[in-house]
Amino acid sequence: MLSRVADHLYWMSRYIERAENLARLMQVSVELLLDGAALGAQNPDQYWAPVLSATAMEGAFRLLYPNPQPGDSSFFLTLDTRNPDSIISCVQEARENARTVRDQISDEMWTELNELYLQISSQNGAALLNNSPQVFFERIIQSSLQFDGITSATLPRSEGWNFLQLGRFLERADKTSRFVDIKTQTPEGLDPTAEVLQWGTILRACSAHAPYRKSNGTEVSLERVLDLLVFSTDFPRSVRFSVRMVDEMLHNISGHPTGQYSNECEKLAGALLAQLNFSGTTDVLSKGVHAYIDELQVSLNNLGQAIFETYVKLPQQVSGISRPLVFDPFEFHLQKQQQQQQQQPPITPTRLGFLEHHSTPPRASHVHSAPLSVAGGI
Amino acid sequence: MLLNSYQTADLFDELMDPHGKVRPYYETVANFFQDIPAEELDQKVKSLELLFLKQGVTFTVYGDKQGTERVFPFDPIPRVIPAQEWEVVEAGLVQRITALNLFLYDIYHEQKILKDGVIPAEVIHGAAHFRPEFVGTSVPRDTYIHVCGTDLIRDRDGSYLVLEDNGRCPSGVSYVLENRAAMKRVMPQLFGRAGVRSVDTYPADLLSTLRFIAPRQTAHPNCVLLTPGVFNSAYFEHSFLAREMGIEIVEGRDLLVLDGFVYMRTTRGLQQVDVIYRRIDDDFLDPTVFRKDSMLGVSGLVDAVRRGNVVLANAIGTGVADDKVTYAYVPDMIDYYLGQEPILKQVPTYLAWRADDKKYILEHLPELVVKAANESGGYGMLIGPRASKEEIAEFRAKIEASPRNYIAQPVVYFSQHPTLVDGALEGRHVDLRPFILCGETIKVLPGGLTRVALKRGSLVVNSSQGGGSKDTWVLAS
Repeated sequence: MLSRVADHLYWMSRYIERAENLARLMQVSVELLLDGAALGAQNPDQYWAPVLSATAMEGAFRLLYPNPQPGDSSFFLTLDTRNPDSIISCVQEARENARTVRDQISDEMWTELNELYLQISSQNGAALLNNSPQVFFERIIQSSLQFDGITSATLPRSEGWNFLQLGRFLERADKTSRFVDIKTQTPEGLDPTAEVLQWGTILRACSAHAPYRKSNGTEVSLERVLDLLVFSTDFPRSVRFSVRMVDEMLHNISGHPTGQYSNECEKLAGALLAQLNFSGTTDVLSKGVHAYIDELQVSLNNLGQAIFETYVKLPQQVSGISRPLVFDPFEFHLQKQQQQQQQQPPITPTRLGFLEHHSTPPRASHVHSAPLSVAGGI
Repeated sequence: MLLNSYQTADLFDELMDPHGKVRPYYETVANFFQDIPAEELDQKVKSLELLFLKQGVTFTVYGDKQGTERVFPFDPIPRVIPAQEWEVVEAGLVQRITALNLFLYDIYHEQKILKDGVIPAEVIHGAAHFRPEFVGTSVPRDTYIHVCGTDLIRDRDGSYLVLEDNGRCPSGVSYVLENRAAMKRVMPQLFGRAGVRSVDTYPADLLSTLRFIAPRQTAHPNCVLLTPGVFNSAYFEHSFLAREMGIEIVEGRDLLVLDGFVYMRTTRGLQQVDVIYRRIDDDFLDPTVFRKDSMLGVSGLVDAVRRGNVVLANAIGTGVADDKVTYAYVPDMIDYYLGQEPILKQVPTYLAWRADDKKYILEHLPELVVKAANESGGYGMLIGPRASKEEIAEFRAKIEASPRNYIAQPVVYFSQHPTLVDGALEGRHVDLRPFILCGETIKVLPGGLTRVALKRGSLVVNSSQGGGSKDTWVLAS
């Protein structure tokens, strides 16, 4: 498979997963917001603050909205095309990647993404968000899940599939870990009801509410939440499960047996998986949840970079032998790749300046070949 | 119902003869649209639109900052071509492409046709797309144009005229296939009884054409489609054809040249490429040879082509046959190389670089259509009878400044075809772009892209300027 195609497939699924996770987090926040409004809360935007922080978008938000008005934060997160991580931007990126590799995916996969994009980018999308935000978020989540199902039912289990799953699970591991970290962002000493509400929110955002209750009953504790969301071996949105999938996909791609490594990304994935396999909640607590998640995020980012270096960038180095170019579009791609990875840095508050990096890169202009109608008129 | 208010005009009408009688080969179609209830038709039209939108059968409009994707407007009334009529068109196209390929071979070798004075040498040397550096370089099977999309129109008497030969990177064939798929899906009752020849084999035929010219005649030569990229207006088509043929669609940055061989970068390392179906212009192929600022091409590609390690379809330099001045000499080529009369006529052409013609053109600007010799897509054109005084003055100055770059033709009124406009049938001008493949044999796709000028009275069928398309039905008998 072409390296570039592998890259597009990987980012296509990362972006749709990214959109889904943001929609999940916003959906449960809207519910909280309604509860809050019922209790007479003054500023609805305070409910978006944890979302902005969990997705590392606070800095960007402040840049675009120095004096935020009510409603600005929810618009910024959903339909603001200036925000490269808003739901609409993610869907657009997913669709654009899909459009580029349409010959590699099934018609049904394309149609699903295309329809989602057409719907939410139209007037109907904005109206739906205003009138029934829950339905809007549900639409995003459903569509992502359907895309996953369609992919699974129509795509051959060859290299493309592996890259696609790689993107999805790497993104999911990243997002689930960020969700867990939301708790560390809220001030200590909240009243106990509020705390219960918040863990409930996070569990629901991960579709983990029912599995949690099933094994733990209604009593909510940090240890048990970590057990489920970070360390579960069978819950498909847990960090460990996702990293195991990443590891598996990498070995499918190389054909090398698991438990060993043949390249840098397999080494990093294997090490991360081993670390998750052989540690537990007590290790997290002794290190501190935030510090632990922070390390995890750094590992995930490094892994993403290594995948790029191994499968997308490497052949470019080969070409260095005989390809002197004044301007190499591949350089731009490399830049774009890094920009995409850097737009969600680890939750270290000082690294939020992605807007500078994310200004529109110089796109190659493709106006040269003949447009559809080459003929003259008469 | 629909037909009752349909008006013919003083030009060839595809549906009705001059007495207002439906032509016999249109009866099935006419009856269907006559009988269909308005609501049902409306619903079919809507589902067609939705189908194209959902599938992303779109093109991008240039000059629009948003790079807006639009659905290529589709008209549900199919164009019908009876078998006997098609036989003539097909024979004419085969004759023409044969002559053009012989001409290109000659121009890039001995140039006999110039030496014998059939075509003035300055016509060729002045053509923007002539590549003198390729004189003496041979191409596999001596074929230069592998894929051609000739534009045809019909004169008042219904005879087909060649308007242009598109021998560089003609596009539109994906719409032929998608239009057909949509019609089958939305109007199965009509399609089922019409007896239409299939267009489905095109991708397979295109692939055999590409394999036929592969330098390594292995079981599976590696053919790829080279696209300018996803921002190109025809990207949908590139992606469609690659998928249908089961070959890779590559951008310039996916390819590299090592020791005169072309490779593509894959996740498993480099893989050699044998044939490139390129959808980018000569100028952008190789920044070390042609335009230095090209970001779409591959450094060293032209060298690999010269060494015969990789083959391009179409070959470099076919644009010289596409030139609107060269066009005027195609009937002479047919006579010179084949000793035949042209089966298909073409539009009389005045060449501004000839003193007599220039004088005539400048004196008759308001009656003529003036075209820039190397422009395409309906750009750089003056339609005299519709032009303002300022536009005419502007073209007068342009022609005076560079006569080699302009030609003029009398206004030819295209045939008209019933087209659905606001629930009623109205006549709209149509042209036809059949697609021809030159591989081991020459194959003409039965049908082609019928483009329709959707604006009343408009003669511009280009998709970039408000044109739409129809499914084209060549009947089996």
